[in-house]
Amino acid sequence: MTAQNLMNPNPVTLRPTDTVATAATHILTHRLRHLPVVDDQGRYLGTFSIYSLLRLTLPKAVIMEEGLRDVSFTTETIDGLARRLRERGSEPVGQWLSQDDPVMHPDTPTMEVMLLMLRGRTTSVPVVDQHSNRLEGIIAFWDVLEKLLVETR
Amino acid sequence: MHDSGEIASAGSMWLAAVLFVITYAVVMSERVNRAIVALVAAGLMIILGVLNQEAAIRGIDFNTIGLLTGMMVIVAITRQSGVFQFLAIWSAKKVNANPWGILVMISLVTAVTSAFLDNVTTVLLVVPVTLLITEELKVNPYPYLFSMIFSSNIGGTATLIGDPPNIMIGSATGLTFNDFGYHLAPVILVIMAVTLLPIYLIWGRKLKATVEDRQRVMQFNEFEAITDWRLLKQCLSVIGLVVFGFIFAKWLRLEAATIAIFGAAALLLLVNLGKSADEQSKHVLAAFNEVEWITIFFFVGLFIVVHGVDSTGLLKVLAEKMIALTGGNLSATAVIILWSSAILSAIIDNIPFVATMIPLIKAMAPSFGGPEGLMPLWWALSLGACLGGNGTLIGASANLVVAGFAERAGQPIRFMQYTLMAFPIMLLSIAISTVYLFWRYL
Repeated sequence: MTAQNLMNPNPVTLRPTDTVATAATHILTHRLRHLPVVDDQGRYLGTFSIYSLLRLTLPKAVIMEEGLRDVSFTTETIDGLARRLRERGSEPVGQWLSQDDPVMHPDTPTMEVMLLMLRGRTTSVPVVDQHSNRLEGIIAFWDVLEKLLVETR
Repeated sequence: MHDSGEIASAGSMWLAAVLFVITYAVVMSERVNRAIVALVAAGLMIILGVLNQEAAIRGIDFNTIGLLTGMMVIVAITRQSGVFQFLAIWSAKKVNANPWGILVMISLVTAVTSAFLDNVTTVLLVVPVTLLITEELKVNPYPYLFSMIFSSNIGGTATLIGDPPNIMIGSATGLTFNDFGYHLAPVILVIMAVTLLPIYLIWGRKLKATVEDRQRVMQFNEFEAITDWRLLKQCLSVIGLVVFGFIFAKWLRLEAATIAIFGAAALLLLVNLGKSADEQSKHVLAAFNEVEWITIFFFVGLFIVVHGVDSTGLLKVLAEKMIALTGGNLSATAVIILWSSAILSAIIDNIPFVATMIPLIKAMAPSFGGPEGLMPLWWALSLGACLGGNGTLIGASANLVVAGFAERAGQPIRFMQYTLMAFPIMLLSIAISTVYLFWRYL
């Protein structure tokens, strides 16, 4: 069994031009942690995740490399943070993608899939064609667990 | 036999000169890490027979190395206490979160901190808070970052321990912490004030923030920035004692490296008291890991290379040439050293430059009535080399650190854009230094 058999071949995807607000709605309504972003040809560009949303909400001085390690001196309320996120709602998701998350290929073995999830501390991994870079599907941890618990009985 | 000895020494002078020029060129090209370049060149000085190992080690100024390392350990521990963030927020609130007021206050905090601790650490810790404040105020961070670059280099010039050139000059000449304060601090105060003037005219008067945004900064609780009060007290006590040691070094008959290393050891002892052996190892290792070993080994290699060149008599020849050029006139020599070191330090690393200039200036002693007569030249070298670093983005390492932050904050500082503003302001500070040197010494 390989990634091909584990993946959901029709995941919810975003275009880089979709807005942050759209992405946030998808994340909230489907309770998804990671949304793959593809271009017009269906090529995988990166992932917009709940972590992208957290980064968007926080000031740059906090999230940047070597930025503030501790902001316990701030007193910003949830309203303030909500406003910050709202102000950025119309920005395209394209510039907030994480590109260094692990990806798999259709022929990646199951054990490698699980190892990637464990090492990357991620619950879903995109499956991408090696040559065309097309997004073929996405494997959520739940799909793997289901196969482990249910289908092997 | 005599002849061949002469030839060998002329040969080694050439060899040393060639090695020296190549070292400079490769360091400037930035293609190879500067510590590697300096150590390879130092090794070649020995292997090719310009120096033997004993002479090479004599060339290393361990007082400079010790002072740098000791202060780096002290700073590595102190930064964890959150005191730098505290100072930045506290100063911002003192001026009611007024944008121009904050710029002035943050610049002063940067200058004073840089005078006592190294510039890179200072900006590394103060820039993120500043960026948070400018983000809250919705003002352009550029003038703040610009001013911080200048403040860190200007502040660093004021004391013996503020900037590596001063550490090297102090160590090589025996000039004390108090000498530096007495001779340099007055002109530094003037330069700091005058530098803020163009920054105000260009950007400062246009900085505006709404009442609500200012209110958000006013609501910061600076005391929450202190992550560990016990640690803070320990660090401030040790830093206080170290500065006391520097001030009274002459009476205590102690050299700077002893004071700094002993301070580092005492602080390590204090923070590790009562911890298990395992935890102690972890803490000590973490503190040592923060020492900038690249800088330290760069110094080691460079001292050997410069000593190699010096031992062949080449620098003496150059010193004589320079004196011939100025006709043995002290004022002319001081002005040439001040301006050339300023302009060169804006383009190249000031550390190798100062390391070379020190033996060169020392060799001028006979022409100016002994070591005492060289005083104005040391101050010219210090002011030129430290302040010159402001001229371009690559003039000092603190500049590059600030530029890195600006880039990551999405407000990149462009090389030419920076130079066009900074170079004239740097020249202004050198002009003030010239007037000061004439007024006080020449």
